Amino acid sequence: MAKEYLGEFEELILTMVAALQEDAYGAAISEEIETRLKREVNLSAVHVTLYRLEDKGLIKSSLGGGTNERGGRRKRIFTITSAGMAMLRAMKEARIDLWKLVPQLKMTGI
Amino acid sequence: MNEQLPKWMLKFLKWFCPEHLYEEIEGDLIQKFNRDVKAFGDSSAKRRLVLNSIRFFRPGIILRNKYVLTPMPFYMLANYFKIALRIMLRNKGYSAINIFGLAFGMTGAILLGLWISREFSYDQFHADKERIYKAWNRTKAQGEWQCWDITPRVLAPTLVSDFSSVESAVSLSYYNDSYLFSVGDVHIMKNNASFADPEFLTMFSFPLIKGDAKKALGNANSIVLTEGFAHKLFGDKEAFGESLTISQAEYDIPFTVTGILKDLPSNTDFHFEFLIPWQFIESNYGKDTEWNNNSVSSYVKIKEGISFETLNREIKDIKKKNTKGSDETEIFLYPITKMHLYSRFENGVAVGGRIEIMRMLGILGVCLVVIACINFINLSTARAARRSKEVAVRKVTGAFRYSLIVQFLCESVLVAFGAGVISLFAVYLALPFFNTLVQQQLELNFSDYAFWVFAVAAIVFIGLMAGSYPAFYLSSFQPVRILKGVPIVSNSRNVFRSLLVIFQFGFALTLITSTVVIYQQTAYLQNRESGYAKNNLVYQLMTGDLIKNFQAYKNELIESGVAVSVTRTSSPITERLSNTSGMKWNGKDPENKSEVERFYVDENISATAGVKILKGRDMNLGKYPSDSTAVLLNESAVNMMGFKEPLGEIIEDNGIPWHVVGVVQDFILTSPYKKVEPIVLLGSKGGDNGMFGVIHIRLNPEQTTKMNLATIAKAFSKYNPDYPFEYHFVDVEYARKFANVKATLTITSLFSGIAIFIGCLGLLGLSTYMIEARVKEIGIRKVMGGSVFNIIRLLSGHSLKPIVWGILIFSPGAWWAMNWWLQSFEYRISFSVWVIVAAAASILLLALLTITLQIYKAARVNPIKSLRTE
Repeated sequence: MAKEYLGEFEELILTMVAALQEDAYGAAISEEIETRLKREVNLSAVHVTLYRLEDKGLIKSSLGGGTNERGGRRKRIFTITSAGMAMLRAMKEARIDLWKLVPQLKMTGI
Repeated sequence: MNEQLPKWMLKFLKWFCPEHLYEEIEGDLIQKFNRDVKAFGDSSAKRRLVLNSIRFFRPGIILRNKYVLTPMPFYMLANYFKIALRIMLRNKGYSAINIFGLAFGMTGAILLGLWISREFSYDQFHADKERIYKAWNRTKAQGEWQCWDITPRVLAPTLVSDFSSVESAVSLSYYNDSYLFSVGDVHIMKNNASFADPEFLTMFSFPLIKGDAKKALGNANSIVLTEGFAHKLFGDKEAFGESLTISQAEYDIPFTVTGILKDLPSNTDFHFEFLIPWQFIESNYGKDTEWNNNSVSSYVKIKEGISFETLNREIKDIKKKNTKGSDETEIFLYPITKMHLYSRFENGVAVGGRIEIMRMLGILGVCLVVIACINFINLSTARAARRSKEVAVRKVTGAFRYSLIVQFLCESVLVAFGAGVISLFAVYLALPFFNTLVQQQLELNFSDYAFWVFAVAAIVFIGLMAGSYPAFYLSSFQPVRILKGVPIVSNSRNVFRSLLVIFQFGFALTLITSTVVIYQQTAYLQNRESGYAKNNLVYQLMTGDLIKNFQAYKNELIESGVAVSVTRTSSPITERLSNTSGMKWNGKDPENKSEVERFYVDENISATAGVKILKGRDMNLGKYPSDSTAVLLNESAVNMMGFKEPLGEIIEDNGIPWHVVGVVQDFILTSPYKKVEPIVLLGSKGGDNGMFGVIHIRLNPEQTTKMNLATIAKAFSKYNPDYPFEYHFVDVEYARKFANVKATLTITSLFSGIAIFIGCLGLLGLSTYMIEARVKEIGIRKVMGGSVFNIIRLLSGHSLKPIVWGILIFSPGAWWAMNWWLQSFEYRISFSVWVIVAAAASILLLALLTITLQIYKAARVNPIKSLRTE
């Protein structure tokens, strides 16, 4: 598993699943991304990525309830697994470690 | 809100979307749609929905389908094969009919397929084949374009020097001359010498084992041998770089072996065992720059990116230009890739050639497999009643129709597989025989994985083709009706089955008719009066010292009593030497461009060859010294030239006036398929310059041939010690002219035999099941007083009907096909309708025999037996 890497979009989706918790399903995730990041995403791309993450064991899913807005169709709620959480954390730490290597502007004096 | 949803879009989604994901995806889409309606309005939201749905049609979603195999789990396959095997074993007769029928058909098809693919591979192995062309002539004679592929020697070098788009051009020629190859004590005669330009080896891809393709033919006295010929000459010694002597007429010329070619593959139209550079002839005898002298094949390789059509337009008038208009023959290039199969020209247009035969054979092969498949279909549907209970029970216990179809297909594939294995064995055993028949070296390439892939694919395909109709038919039964005992009878099925039988027997009729017609034509050709006495006649080639010792040799043969008469001629009496339309005679119509065959003889041709003198006398140099310029005409020549009284007429050829001394009966010089050409038998004047290449000897019929030949061999070694003693029987050479048509006869009889056999197998099976189904009916009829004969008449009439229809429908086709075939013979039988009638009668008889035997057996049975049980 250590050799598994995540693409940028996969990481984004994984983060969203972790963030939205009980409300993490396809349409909601895409909407969140659109409103928060002002980024147009494709619904099908979100779904495909979710299934792929599930294949990798980073998230798991179960069927939730349906609403009137969805024509009574049930949602598939995704929740992050501990492997997913570890992956996310490892990625974040690696990112911060790398970030520390970047020469920063000296701002201390101001 | 949901009413606005485009339902068709969701249907499309449902079609490709995996079932377990469908609900949530649809839900998400609907949710998005509803929010979009609020944000953008109805129409825009609809558009977005469609777009979003279509975007789900992507591998990430589609490939999540757990494929169609879900309703047919793999573990069932084992069960299907088990059941199939059990059923096959339980009905051994039925399985045998199916498997052997298919195996016969497949064997025929594989043999034909091997042959056809070999024919298609001819000269396709040259690396630059797309750029290599052969030069052809085209000239208008009697208002029609005539095409032929022998061109002047000077053409190739002219093409290279005058046209920039030509990369290289070579001449290749086979000269009918006797060449004696000597290496130490080994002497080998070759009657065919091949000359080529140095670029020949680089233009074509005949691989050299030793030597440099660019330089091998660069020297006048260099020679390139094939591996096999080198082995014959040099044995196990290294031939490369060694020298050998070639003796021709009175010359002995040393050559150095500068290249060893790999033996030519069998799929090429090139035939040579050695190549001598043109430079050899040209440095000794001068260059042949005559544009009128068509004597070589010219091959042209054009530069890349040049279209040969354009080049063809440029070179069209090359002959006219170089002969200042005196020769209007046009030159054109024709691709070598088409040389083998597409080289028949009619009125200047390529109209096919060997490909037509290949197409016929292809159709034949497909038809053989199809009629075998028809057997399978017919037998399976006829047996439907037996399987109906099984189908019903399977359905009741939860089988999908789909899985039943798969089951039946498994069965047919299994049958096809068994047939395939048998037919591969059969092909393996039959190949040597088939190879001599079609004069090819075909082989099954067992080590080639492509062969196995193809074989398995073909078997599965045939299995599916044979099995699909029965599978769909059998799986369509409704369990309720069957388990209730409603009999399955449907009219359409019987019509379909009859159609298949019609095709089967129509095809068989066509084949039988062909066989009979080809047989009649072959016999007709073979019985044709050849015009000379073929038996006890041998010929030898004039070689070495025989040229100067001929008179002494001849005298010795006659004095020792082995020969009755000896005559020198320009060619064997079974071959043409040359022909011309340029002879002149009194009262010749200037428009008359008929070709006349030249045949030079010294004297006594009537005594030697048995050609009959109808008028005048034979040539006799002892009695009439002026006979060196005498000429004999055959009847066709007399008719063509329009002489009322031919004796004493003068015919001019090559500037020599020849006086007619006699007329001989027509005899076959070239092809027994054609009308006899006008032939002139010219005297010895024309033979002075080595024209007499052949000696014909009429053997003494009082002695055995063996004794005669032994004495001739002794005389030969006395007068021509350096050359091996070789001789040819004229009757054997004559018989060789029929090899082609005889092979056609054997092939058609073979395949019509197979077709009829398969057809009868099927009929046997069908009638067995028909009788089985009507056993009770037969019993009741007997009880009510029906006689065995009545029952036979009633039941067989029913089965024979489709066969009669097949005969009626297919006979016009057979008629047309055989007339088309007969058109290729000038000398042919007239096709009689009785052939078709006889073929039809024999088919009906055979079918009747097959059916009645079965019915008779059933009708003889005591009705108590058939009626007792229910």
